[in-house]
Amino acid sequence: MKDILVKTGRFLLRILFGIGSFFKKLWKHKQGRIGLIIVGILAVCAIFAPLIAPYDPYDVTQRAEKGLLPSWQHLLGTSITTGQDIFSMLIYGTRSSLSIGVITGITIAILGSLLGIAAGYIGGWVDTIIMRVVDVLLVIPTLPLVIVMTNVLGTSYVVIVIVFAAFGWTGLARVIRSQVMLIKNTNYVKAAELMGASKWYIMWRHILPAVSNLLIMSTALTSAGIMVAEAGLSFLGLGNPEAISWGKMLADAQSSGAMLFGHWWSILAPGVGIFLAVYSFMRIGLALEEILNPRMRKGSSMIKVFKHLNNKYLEEVFASMDDNSKMKGEYVAEGAQEEVAAAAEEKSETGVKDESAGS
Amino acid sequence: MKASYVIKRILLTVLIFFIVVTLCFFIPRIGVTDPASRYYPPQPATMSDEDYEVLKEITREQYGLDGTTFEQYIRYMGQLFQGDLGTSYQSGSPSVIDCIAECLPWTLVLSVTNLLISLVIGVIIGTMAAWKRGRWQDKALLNASTFTTALPSFFIALLLSFYLGFEWEIFPAYTDQNMVSNFDWSWQAISTVMYNAALPIFSMAIGGIVSYGQSTRNSVIAVSGDEFILTAKAKGLSNNKVIYGHTLRNAMLPIVTQFGMNISGLIGGSVVIEKIFNWNGMGTLFLTANGNNDYPLMMGIMIFMSAFALVANLLTDFVYSLLDPRVTLGERR
Repeated sequence: MKDILVKTGRFLLRILFGIGSFFKKLWKHKQGRIGLIIVGILAVCAIFAPLIAPYDPYDVTQRAEKGLLPSWQHLLGTSITTGQDIFSMLIYGTRSSLSIGVITGITIAILGSLLGIAAGYIGGWVDTIIMRVVDVLLVIPTLPLVIVMTNVLGTSYVVIVIVFAAFGWTGLARVIRSQVMLIKNTNYVKAAELMGASKWYIMWRHILPAVSNLLIMSTALTSAGIMVAEAGLSFLGLGNPEAISWGKMLADAQSSGAMLFGHWWSILAPGVGIFLAVYSFMRIGLALEEILNPRMRKGSSMIKVFKHLNNKYLEEVFASMDDNSKMKGEYVAEGAQEEVAAAAEEKSETGVKDESAGS
Repeated sequence: MKASYVIKRILLTVLIFFIVVTLCFFIPRIGVTDPASRYYPPQPATMSDEDYEVLKEITREQYGLDGTTFEQYIRYMGQLFQGDLGTSYQSGSPSVIDCIAECLPWTLVLSVTNLLISLVIGVIIGTMAAWKRGRWQDKALLNASTFTTALPSFFIALLLSFYLGFEWEIFPAYTDQNMVSNFDWSWQAISTVMYNAALPIFSMAIGGIVSYGQSTRNSVIAVSGDEFILTAKAKGLSNNKVIYGHTLRNAMLPIVTQFGMNISGLIGGSVVIEKIFNWNGMGTLFLTANGNNDYPLMMGIMIFMSAFALVANLLTDFVYSLLDPRVTLGERR
């Protein structure tokens, strides 16, 4: 009994230290720090929304006159349809956007890594089935399908997360699969197989850690993409009707004629909210990409994020990383990698070449 | 191109198509016990329950929703084989194909123009940025791509329609609905369409231009390190000839890939933009169908979009292998 406690304690500690060093690395990276700060502010807004927001937008009694202009009582005025305080709505809106983005991102990471590792490592009919499912899901237009699903299953947060996860895992699974197929042939996996390690053990102890960098990075980027998608969905009036979200604020502002009255702040505020959330997550994702893959040339990756958001192109997003991992295999010593990284940064031209060869 | 591989690829496409059709049929029916329930007329007070059941049955038949779901599925597949997507529940019950044919050109006006503008301007900007690498042109492109990637296109569209549409009244903020009904091929009608389409196209094209610009830049930089460019320069060719005759031509391959992928999203990619500008296209059609639980129309649109994407993917694969013989079929990355 005591043994188990000590073991789990150590395990938890290791995870905590892992997370700590991870944030430290991110903080040292200039772009990552910007992302971390914005995410931090947004997270504080989301968690302490009732304390920060001057009014409770869910409370009917705290509604003011409709369509007030910005003043010290109402920093961003009030909405035209309901008279809710827009500034408070903006702060409460962080909750839905962040939580859906992060939760879906993590769900997709779990689903994608499970299926990708299974397809890549086990191979055979498992691989065939998973890849055919991916083919099918990639062809169906995602947004219409999501609209239909929310129409049928309702628009609670749980449904939205499930639907996004159900259609978002395909790209990640493909990338992980191609990565796993490379790792599968490395010597240490072969050695473990020869020693009689079970498939589950190898997948858990050797393959999962090898793709974990990729997973963490793509979780940040997927979360950003999901936030855009969620805003779009609630803009179409298909999100959770009871909750306050930025997309719905935009839709309300548009349909109530805020533009006709010249209330530019009621459109700009939720839009800037969406922008900040997406931008910060993207920044973190890209910073991680550079930290974890020092060979990546700085600043080249925006186009990749764009592709990533479209999900279909995810395979190409990481195609360059395949090449990177191939390179890594050549350098046996761990310390040598850093030298190589430094050299690669100097000769950014060769780095460019590698990338474009991949895509 | 090996014939056996082409055949295999086409067969696979057909198989995927049927799975997609099956999904499109069953997904809207998950958890719905009686899809026709919203179309039943209210029960008159004088009518007995049995008679009302008969009335319900008649309504179901009218909407093609009689029998079990599986029977409906078989019937639908049979129809599909004859190229019939069924009739819509809209008033006047037009056939689904007619509905799609009516809206498709309007969506294509937006998306094709957007794609072409993005491609041409993006390639020009990208080449320029690559040529002036490290200078302000390059940095400006990089910063622009950072911002446009994080800005959802519907927010750009809202801002544009607010400033250009409402405040400064340069372009119409909402589409003029007479444009669709009064369309003849006269010069004036075409110019009205372009005038109305300007804002939607522009709001979509901002992201597209930057994305093509970035990938062109990267690919041009990658190619410009090659020996044949050095040879071209050593021969004493002018800068323009080196860029457009030698570098760009060899840097085109990744751009072709991106172009092919964008083609598969031509129809389904502008749902939100169409909603904002009240544009009478496929997206609006789909949203209305979804709001009315119009099953045949919903399925028809989704199947049409998937079929379009499938064919586009297939063609891109073939074109790609023709362009670059080193790439074997099916290994496009």
